[in-house]
Amino acid sequence: MATEISVDYPQALPGDFAIWIFIFAELVVFAALFAAYAFARSAHLEMFDAAQATLDRAYGYANTLVLVTSSYFVARATQSIKAGRATRCGHWLAGALGLGGVFLALKLAEFQQDLAHGISLSTNLFYMFYLSLTFFHFMHVVMGMAILAVVAYKAYAGRYGAADHAGVETGASYWHMVDLVWIILFTLVYVVH
Amino acid sequence: MKLPQAIPLKPCTVSWFALLGLTTITYELSARAPGQALMALVLGVMLVKAHLIVSDFMGLRHTRLLWRIVMAAYLAVVGGIIAFTCLTA
Amino acid sequence: MKFQSQKVAIPYFVGALALFLGQIVFGLIAGLQYLNGSFLFPELPFDIAHMSHTNLLIVWLLMAYMGAAYFIVPEEAQTELYSPRLALVTFWIFLTAGALTILSYLFVPYAHLAAITGNAALPTMGRGYLEQPLPIKVGIVLVALSLLFNVTMTLIKGRKTSINLILVGSLWGLALLFLPAFYFPQDTVKASFGWWWIVHGWVEGDWELILGALLGFILIKMTGVDREIVEKWLYIIVAMTLISGIIGIGHHYYYTGAPAYWIWLGTIFSAFEPIPFILLIAFSFKMLLARRREHPNKAAMLWALGTPLMAFLGAGLWGFMITLAPAQYYMHGTNFTAAHGHLAFFGAYAMVALAIISYAMPLLRGRIANSAAAQRWEMTGFWIMVLSMIGIALALTGAGLVTVLLQRAADDPMSFMQVQDKARVFFWLREFAGLAFFIGLLVYLRSFFIAGEYGYAGEMKQALAA
Repeated sequence: MATEISVDYPQALPGDFAIWIFIFAELVVFAALFAAYAFARSAHLEMFDAAQATLDRAYGYANTLVLVTSSYFVARATQSIKAGRATRCGHWLAGALGLGGVFLALKLAEFQQDLAHGISLSTNLFYMFYLSLTFFHFMHVVMGMAILAVVAYKAYAGRYGAADHAGVETGASYWHMVDLVWIILFTLVYVVH
Repeated sequence: MKLPQAIPLKPCTVSWFALLGLTTITYELSARAPGQALMALVLGVMLVKAHLIVSDFMGLRHTRLLWRIVMAAYLAVVGGIIAFTCLTA
Repeated sequence: MKFQSQKVAIPYFVGALALFLGQIVFGLIAGLQYLNGSFLFPELPFDIAHMSHTNLLIVWLLMAYMGAAYFIVPEEAQTELYSPRLALVTFWIFLTAGALTILSYLFVPYAHLAAITGNAALPTMGRGYLEQPLPIKVGIVLVALSLLFNVTMTLIKGRKTSINLILVGSLWGLALLFLPAFYFPQDTVKASFGWWWIVHGWVEGDWELILGALLGFILIKMTGVDREIVEKWLYIIVAMTLISGIIGIGHHYYYTGAPAYWIWLGTIFSAFEPIPFILLIAFSFKMLLARRREHPNKAAMLWALGTPLMAFLGAGLWGFMITLAPAQYYMHGTNFTAAHGHLAFFGAYAMVALAIISYAMPLLRGRIANSAAAQRWEMTGFWIMVLSMIGIALALTGAGLVTVLLQRAADDPMSFMQVQDKARVFFWLREFAGLAFFIGLLVYLRSFFIAGEYGYAGEMKQALAA
């Protein structure tokens, strides 16, 4: 039996370095938003907890499962292209895009429900944060899906290969970032009380 | 006849299952009565999930130490701020 | 210069610089009127000098960006401009309208001007930067449409590079954001909402994209770095600009009667507005380090590298100082705002205009770069202008601080005029710095009148001898 020797060389960040500059900038932006929420919450604890209790946490839970799974699909897409399987990579990306669509649909349903209850940015500070944070993230999902759509198109068109997979990694890294901030957002806005 | 060998799960698949499980735990915890122990648990679960995404999905596990430190520091700062505001609330 | 039609940029650049000179003269007059209220009164009251100063600023910047578009779009599209004649006609209409506007400010009382230009039918006059009579505003729209038609047609028939798409796209944005100028309702809250979208929508959003495109073009040309790399950076900068700017503009809605959540949204998002400027700095210096050639136009390179730094200082840092709602509560409308306005407008938008002029004018005059002597004059002008503008900003910051300490945050607040008296020393400093700026501008303009082009042989001989 042949033993496989694998040496772990430390590698550069996956994908184009430029996207990482963007990812780090975005992470800083989200961190500031989370910090603002956290400090505002500590100053108005009871109001935040009371308002948070009105949220339908099942939406947040379902959306987390959806986004985590789509991120997993994207990770599999990256592995597929590294193995030279471009069509399979495209399929995984298409699946991730579909789940992105599910996320948006669930979020819209939730917004619709809030709207029906007469909730707006002016309702109180908690809803101001809840609506603007989730909407800001919503727009990032839209942008991430636009990037993934371009990558998926190129993958199906055979523009990537085992040796040339940086484009897939670039799009994937951004999508994982969108997933990462949602994990924090979900915990902070829906759960912490 | 050769017996089918167990297919080794890829690290990212393991992480995916873990993320689904941890998310379910978080959801369960969200309905519990508030308390500092619960808060610590929730934040701990959040950091583990974030770490799984960073290492196994983003693939930072294989990158230079610098980038892993940057990401860990980011999560530590965000988690720290949330924990701090919970404690001082 | 690769295409004959790029030459239409020359009158735009020359016109822009002439108006720039005019702007500074009015600035000096208005600055002096801070110290002596009756200076030139009643021939030229302060409000007229002030609005001539700000309107000329906007017009010369627009003229320079139009020139830049006529220069860059054909070169990027690899084709002649759709209609050079239309571009020239548009220039003369624009210049005449601009000159008429300033002359009418100077010689016709403003209320009378409003009456004879149909302001009663569709009120648009009176708001800062938008003092122009109705026919002039319509003229601005027509000039913009002519430009958009011309460059869009050029883009359609030619190569579609990212720089061109960003540049032409942001010119469309510029025109669209001017439309709220025609919306001036009685409701002051709505009126101010619309007002902020125009000039502040430009400087916090749209013009940053123009700035990015111009800088990207200059850096591609001067450093020889791969277009692909420059474009990636530009997309990131554009994205960060929009992410921070669109909601960040809400820092103007504090305490104006707009919903209270703007205090949070404006504070948080405007705090991100320095990020695109930090990215611009990283971008330009990375391109400088990765350069594949030494371009002989050192002056243009100086402008191109100075722009992001000064933009960060003026727009980023000085803007951040006053943007958070708790700070703005005390600083609103003080000279902190004027300090930020001066440093940001010059550092970001005037300097990028001068950068593209510095790069393009020698080419338009048939040489790759000006002679070393001309460049020395230009770079001396650069340093005098940059340093004296920092001086103006610091002096105004001092004056702003006086107001905050003695009036806004004081237990026993002084009256407005008393505070103005206390800040007098800073207004003197500002005027001196302004005078230095004027000298710097003259030195800069002198560089255009030094004949001769950059001679490699001569430079080499000199270098070897030394």
